[in-house]
Amino acid sequence: KEDKEEDESKEEDNGSQQNRASRRKNYQRRNGDGKKAREERSQKKGRGKTAPNKDQKESENKEKKTTKRGKEGENKQKKDRKNSISSSSNSSDEESLSEEELAMLKEQVEQKKKLISTMRNKPWRMVKKLSVLREAQDFVEKFEGALGKGKGKKLYAYKMMMAKKWVKFKRDFENFKTQCIPWEMKIKEVESHFGSSVASYFIFLRWMYGVNLVLFGLIFGLVIIPEVLMGMPYGSLPRKTVPRAEQATAMDFSVLWDFEGYIKYSALFYGYYNNQRTIGWLKYRLPMAYFMVGISVFGYSLMVVIRSMARNANESTTDGDDDNFIFSWKMFTSWDYLIGNPETADNKFASITTSFKESIVDEQESNKDENIHLRRFLRVLANVLIICCLCGSGYLIYFVVKRSQTFSKMQNVGWYERNEVEIVMSLLGMFCPPLFETIAALENYHPRIGLKWQLGRIFALFLGNLYTFLLALMDDVNEKLAEEDVVKNITHWTLLGHHNSSAGNDSTVTPPPLDPADVPRGPCWETTVGIEFVRLTVSDILVTYITILVGDFIRACFVRFVNYCWCWDLEAGFPSYAEFDISGNVLGLVFNQGMIWMGSFYAPGLVGINVLRLLTSMYFQCWAVMSSNVPHARVFKASKSNNFYMGLVLLILFLSLLPVAYTIMSLPPSFDCGPFSGKKRMYDVIQETIELDFPLFVAKIFSYVANPGLIIPAILLMVLTIYYLNAVSKAYQRANAELKKKMQMQREEEKNKRNNKASTNPMLQDLEDLLTPSTKTESPPKQAEDKKTESQNGTSPVGKPGRGEFLAGSPMAGGRGAAFTPPSQVFVTQPRTLGARAPHPGQPRPWGHPLGPVPGRGRGQPCYPRAAR
Amino acid sequence: MALLDQKNNNVSITVFILCCVHTIMTRKENGWQEHREDFQRIPELAINPLGDRIINAFFPEGEDQVNFRGFMRTLAHFRPIEDNEKSKDQNGPEPLNSRSNKLHFAFRLYDLDKDDKISRDELLQVLRMMVGVNISDEQLGSIADRTIQEADQDGDSAISFAEFVKVLEKVDVEQKMSIRFLH
Repeated sequence: KEDKEEDESKEEDNGSQQNRASRRKNYQRRNGDGKKAREERSQKKGRGKTAPNKDQKESENKEKKTTKRGKEGENKQKKDRKNSISSSSNSSDEESLSEEELAMLKEQVEQKKKLISTMRNKPWRMVKKLSVLREAQDFVEKFEGALGKGKGKKLYAYKMMMAKKWVKFKRDFENFKTQCIPWEMKIKEVESHFGSSVASYFIFLRWMYGVNLVLFGLIFGLVIIPEVLMGMPYGSLPRKTVPRAEQATAMDFSVLWDFEGYIKYSALFYGYYNNQRTIGWLKYRLPMAYFMVGISVFGYSLMVVIRSMARNANESTTDGDDDNFIFSWKMFTSWDYLIGNPETADNKFASITTSFKESIVDEQESNKDENIHLRRFLRVLANVLIICCLCGSGYLIYFVVKRSQTFSKMQNVGWYERNEVEIVMSLLGMFCPPLFETIAALENYHPRIGLKWQLGRIFALFLGNLYTFLLALMDDVNEKLAEEDVVKNITHWTLLGHHNSSAGNDSTVTPPPLDPADVPRGPCWETTVGIEFVRLTVSDILVTYITILVGDFIRACFVRFVNYCWCWDLEAGFPSYAEFDISGNVLGLVFNQGMIWMGSFYAPGLVGINVLRLLTSMYFQCWAVMSSNVPHARVFKASKSNNFYMGLVLLILFLSLLPVAYTIMSLPPSFDCGPFSGKKRMYDVIQETIELDFPLFVAKIFSYVANPGLIIPAILLMVLTIYYLNAVSKAYQRANAELKKKMQMQREEEKNKRNNKASTNPMLQDLEDLLTPSTKTESPPKQAEDKKTESQNGTSPVGKPGRGEFLAGSPMAGGRGAAFTPPSQVFVTQPRTLGARAPHPGQPRPWGHPLGPVPGRGRGQPCYPRAAR
Repeated sequence: MALLDQKNNNVSITVFILCCVHTIMTRKENGWQEHREDFQRIPELAINPLGDRIINAFFPEGEDQVNFRGFMRTLAHFRPIEDNEKSKDQNGPEPLNSRSNKLHFAFRLYDLDKDDKISRDELLQVLRMMVGVNISDEQLGSIADRTIQEADQDGDSAISFAEFVKVLEKVDVEQKMSIRFLH
């Protein structure tokens, strides 16, 4: 039976290889003639089970075999010859025989494979195809193993298998990749219900999470874990021990909550690290690593932000010219024909609706006319109000900070006094954005532009907060520095005194070392700064979560359930459900990230906290949005590249780089804590490493490179390069805009012309037909390509024929269009209506056929099923 | 034919094919005639807002059944175009799964009264199917107007096939209206 199958496949292969076209004709003829007979047969086959099926097939095969026997014989002879040649080297007869068999087998397997690959093109019925396919696959599977004797064959079989596997693997890998994008489904779900603007926040959050994960890996892998594994253990050094006075309360929750006590003296903070040059048996240079990681956190962040900005910019320019057919595309291509899951279908419905709404908003905005003076006045007014708000909040913070400085001098202050700054800042952050939003309603911008304004304003507010906070911190640090000088002397004398006394008392026994807990400490300003940032971050997290819980969830519950017994409609009336606050959330995220960047140098553990925060807030906010928010009244489309967010991140990155750089470059590190203790400046660690660990010439080169005489020209060169590149990109942009404008103009002109042609101006149309008689009469004009032909004939509005053509279709689209539609065939479907719109019989109108047989169809176009059937 | 993520596509493709094949297999005893209800049992079609239209496309005019050949002929529109086919079949008959045929199939889904034009009313019907009652009629009307205005080139306030092709010039129909099967 297999033989027969094989025969058939061979026959088919020959056919397909030799002349496909003739085979097709054959097939069509057969279709036409023996259609009924075939159907009957197939019905029979359907009713009977497999056995008669096989019989029939066999009989068929026999017929075919008789016709094709000759060819096959030739083939086999050839095969034999080959085999004899190949096996002639082998002397024994038996072996050659088996070789022959093997070769046969191989041939068969190959043919089966070919059959499988060409299966789709066969004019068979589906059942037959399926059964043949299954048999062929079984055969290949069964006998491919038998081929594993000869070396070349093995390799071949192996290659084939690998190729197959590779294709499958690639497809699986694609699936896997899309599955691996974290939270993709969650975000899609949110997007389909709340529009792309809300989704853009979540995408941003995801991106942030990715960046933080890398930073986390960097800091934990290179600083914290080496320190924990190889550094000196807790309690071995004064800086790694809780002082005696604090030990009693060091484990209390209230103390730990303030990040004092044991947490303060742990690897999470700067002060815990020792200034030993190398630690452990690896000779790991921890201080150096600490410094380099601190720098590379910023370096990596800058690189990532800028790279993604550049990528976004690229994306937004590449699909810039697609906005010609927004609505048509939405209309014709928005449904995914492959959706089979009801839930997905619901999402898709929601997303189509949302996208239509987005487009409607855009559309309304673009043709809005109004009283421009009133609008201008209101906008100015809104800005004045907002500037007042900003100044007020700035003063409030200044006032609170001053007050807190006096509080810090007093001894026993309550919880509120200690946390006043944080509380006020959180409250400002909570209440100002809604206020701004209310004011922004005066301006009546398009929501997308409105969002940008809103973002900018809240950014200014937060920035004020941030920098006030930093200035207060700076004062604090300076105080601590002054205090440190005093403590340094005390420590010095204490240690000296201890040694002297022990040495004086008993010189033979080594003096009992002073317990590390008893050594007087400096204030260690770095740890203080780190603790401030951690506290701020944690309180920010809490405030955010509580706001969501109360402001969104509880409100939604209230509105939903109390509505049954309330005197007015809560859902439509006053409280209603909350909308998702994009601007507030985005800025919260951005500023939080700024905190992380600033704080991570002095509190390496901060990044870990942030990773946790982002992870939880992804789930929490997704849940909150889906459960208790309603879509915006005016859903608007986010700009494709969220470069505005990225711009904010870049700005905040730069702003948070400044204070860190300042403290590293110009403040002396504490004398008794941290990896840089004992040095004049933190960056001395680099010089030290270069001097001690590198050969001399490296140090020399480094000193040359660090020479200002070299740095200044380098910076100049960079500036010039930037200037040049900027100029070039501007020029490109201009050219681009020009081209786009021309395209648009051409399109419009063409439309106008057509309209004129159709409705009002028969004279002109006649004239035009006279002007371009050749194209119009030669080929049935295809409207899709009319533009092109016209521009080739020089009637294009742009004038220059060459450019006109270039503009008419972008090379890709034009090329494809031309490739898939040989003109005479496609235009068949045009007719009837065109006749109606041009009601003068005198002009040559080769396309004016009624909907009947058209010349193009005779050439065998089975494409329109109705006609073909 | 749209932009949902890949994962879903691949899953549903298999489901779709399985359903088709299953439909074929189960209808053996009925003599290879497909009935409308069989199609409506395929989830892809039951959910699709244009599902009824697609089902209608399988049936010759006025009939309630389709034989296997007709079924396959229609289904062939969904076959992907392969690279080697593109180059080979230049002078042979145009295959059913060519780009223009795919487009024409799609066009007929929208063109209800078969006058080779998509009119405003036809667009409105489709819109209503796609977005349901979530958008007011007025806005739907404006969307339809905008669509026609965008696509219309000859000023007859309807979309002809040529204009349809022009609109979808840059959409990757070859891939989007395709189903991979047998492999």
